[in-house]
Amino acid sequence: MAEAEFDAIVVGSGMSGGMSAKELCERGLKVLVLERGPEIVPERDYTDQLAPWESDHLDNVAQDEINQHYYKQYGGVAYAIKESTKHFWVKDDEHPYEEAEGTSYDWLRGYHTAGRSIMWSRQTYRLGPQDFTANLEEGVGVDWPVRYEDIVPWYEKVETFVGVSGSEEGLDQLPDSVFQPAFELTDAEKSFKQKVETTFNGRNVIPARIAHLTDATEEQRALGRSNCQARNRCHHGCSFKAYFSSLNATLPAAERTGNLTMVHNAIVQGLDYDPANNRISGVRVVDAETNEARTYSSRVVFLNASAIASAMILLQSKSESFPTGLANRSDQVGRNLMDHVSSAGVAGIMTGFEDKTVFGRRPSGGIYIPRYANVTENDKPYKRGFGFQGGARPLGNSGGQIAGIGRDFKEAHKRPGPWRFSVLAFGEQLPNPENRVTLHASRRDRWGNPVPVFNVSYGENERIMQQEAVKDAQAMMEAAGCINITTSNANLSKPGNRIHEMGTARMGRDPATSVLNGWAQAHDVPNLFITDGAFMTSSACQNPSLTYMAFSARAANYAADLISEGVI
Amino acid sequence: MKTRREFLQGLIISVGGASALSACGDAANVVATTAGERGRFYTQDEMALISRISDLVIPRTETPGALDANVPGYLDALMSDWASAETQNGHRAALQLISQRLDSLSGDFKAASEAEAVAALSELDSDAFNGDNSLGGYRSLKGYITQSYFATEAGATEELKWVAIPGRWDPSVDIATGD
Repeated sequence: MAEAEFDAIVVGSGMSGGMSAKELCERGLKVLVLERGPEIVPERDYTDQLAPWESDHLDNVAQDEINQHYYKQYGGVAYAIKESTKHFWVKDDEHPYEEAEGTSYDWLRGYHTAGRSIMWSRQTYRLGPQDFTANLEEGVGVDWPVRYEDIVPWYEKVETFVGVSGSEEGLDQLPDSVFQPAFELTDAEKSFKQKVETTFNGRNVIPARIAHLTDATEEQRALGRSNCQARNRCHHGCSFKAYFSSLNATLPAAERTGNLTMVHNAIVQGLDYDPANNRISGVRVVDAETNEARTYSSRVVFLNASAIASAMILLQSKSESFPTGLANRSDQVGRNLMDHVSSAGVAGIMTGFEDKTVFGRRPSGGIYIPRYANVTENDKPYKRGFGFQGGARPLGNSGGQIAGIGRDFKEAHKRPGPWRFSVLAFGEQLPNPENRVTLHASRRDRWGNPVPVFNVSYGENERIMQQEAVKDAQAMMEAAGCINITTSNANLSKPGNRIHEMGTARMGRDPATSVLNGWAQAHDVPNLFITDGAFMTSSACQNPSLTYMAFSARAANYAADLISEGVI
Repeated sequence: MKTRREFLQGLIISVGGASALSACGDAANVVATTAGERGRFYTQDEMALISRISDLVIPRTETPGALDANVPGYLDALMSDWASAETQNGHRAALQLISQRLDSLSGDFKAASEAEAVAALSELDSDAFNGDNSLGGYRSLKGYITQSYFATEAGATEELKWVAIPGRWDPSVDIATGD
């Protein structure tokens, strides 16, 4: 084999790819990051400094433009797709996908430097010990080849670098991270916490844990990052680099080693496999703008393209040795596609706080209610559990939807109004091999790549769990003294809509039933690692980005060890 | 798009001086309008109606009103550049209905005195928020007017005291004392 151009190629520059690149570069390896989208330049492309009056038409995307370009994306996350942020989301007509009959799927994403780490909602939680043993204990899916203790040092390393605001709670099922100070709860939230914790033994109401700097470290300041300014403009990017994204943190850290090469508009079409030495020998890309084809080579390849795209790259990489796709001897590539599941949000009015308001716009989250189902309460008619995200804030500006005209109407918008408390459950989805993404037999995108076909449905466990979650939320609202308690649409969220795709190349102990070993290394191909959501053997119920990054850092250091030992 | 420096300069100016009339920033397609002109979307009659309703819903008080902030011009741009044909048609039909209802409540809304106009619009508004579903288009219009007003520099900074960079989070501020 000819000398490889790079030590490592990382496919994708988002949440996990940024961390893989940083760790590999810091180990002294020459790293190429391939990003399928264009470059985001913060000074040019972040729009967080725009004042409300500097955007046209209330910052709404024109209705015809939504219908033409953003019919899936806008349908999934209307709250995040504004005139000033639409450039962070893909145009659906340029990036089509299909859904099996009778199913629907939200594939919500952006193609550019740092991927969805620019648009994420920044809730950041560790998995707990129970999450790594549940499959084994319940006979669901396959056993994780890793236990919580294995990943703790990597959580600590990543959290220290990323910056997580939160409070130490000492909960077994939701272990504390390395924290910067939490965003303090509002008075209504404190009251809710006190009443719920008194009424329901074993339930906790804690400040949401979010990847925002509140006491920036020297290392973070050296990367140009500063504390959160409480603007809540995060979906526009952050010129203060106060929230974590790979563009705000990991990619600059990789860059400063001098070992990083970054290529944009490079869509990976397949991985070339050399059966003589059982290694990937090349990464084939097509340039998104010029359609020029190129092949890069490296000693090790990290797929961090997102759970769906990484699975598709493997499925597209067919050879005599791997007729159904690279590293797919288990036939598990593309299967077990999971997300988190929500149903109705529950909201109510909390009286008694009319003389209070807040200053500043708290970014993301307010409260989090860690999982208690099948942890401290074991009477549930379903497996696993859920966490609640929510919070209380003054109802405030009604946007004109109150009666009256003239001075009184105008000035009513200045008053904070009653406090509204709302919560939404994020539940675990069980792995099911029939929930999968496959390649369309004939339909191709404009670069000649097969379009994905999704076939994903929720099962009985998710349905029952979410019915119970809504009842639990109502009971907690009542215990907290809320009035006018309402629930929104009771349908389950669409698969994909929580934007936590995972499971399509699961870890496991047995090469016959899993794609990756406990290091996120392919059983079948030793110089292939996958550390985006694809490796997740089960979904847990916590927002997963932190876990992707911890496993990325661990795998990158393991791969660097193997390279220095000459194993790969 | 403005650079951060320009943005901060803009902030300093808006804090330092009365800027009620620079309502729409660099939204290039918003034209200043008066009740006597037609817009890009609105006819002359429609613009007169929009202007009258905007002024009645959000009048000038100690702070600028909807007309000071050029809300009719903002709505004209919204309908021209944001709305689909379906939304445009629905809005136009709603304006017709609103005009007819106001005429029947006041005799001739255009010629009505201030007190008569307030009375007529108050009654229509009350109907719209008390179960008259035929007035959904009025509720939409009121939403556009209100949201547009608060999205202007005057509405955001002078009326709502919107701050670009709070710099801190205080979860418990006493309204009476501001502490």
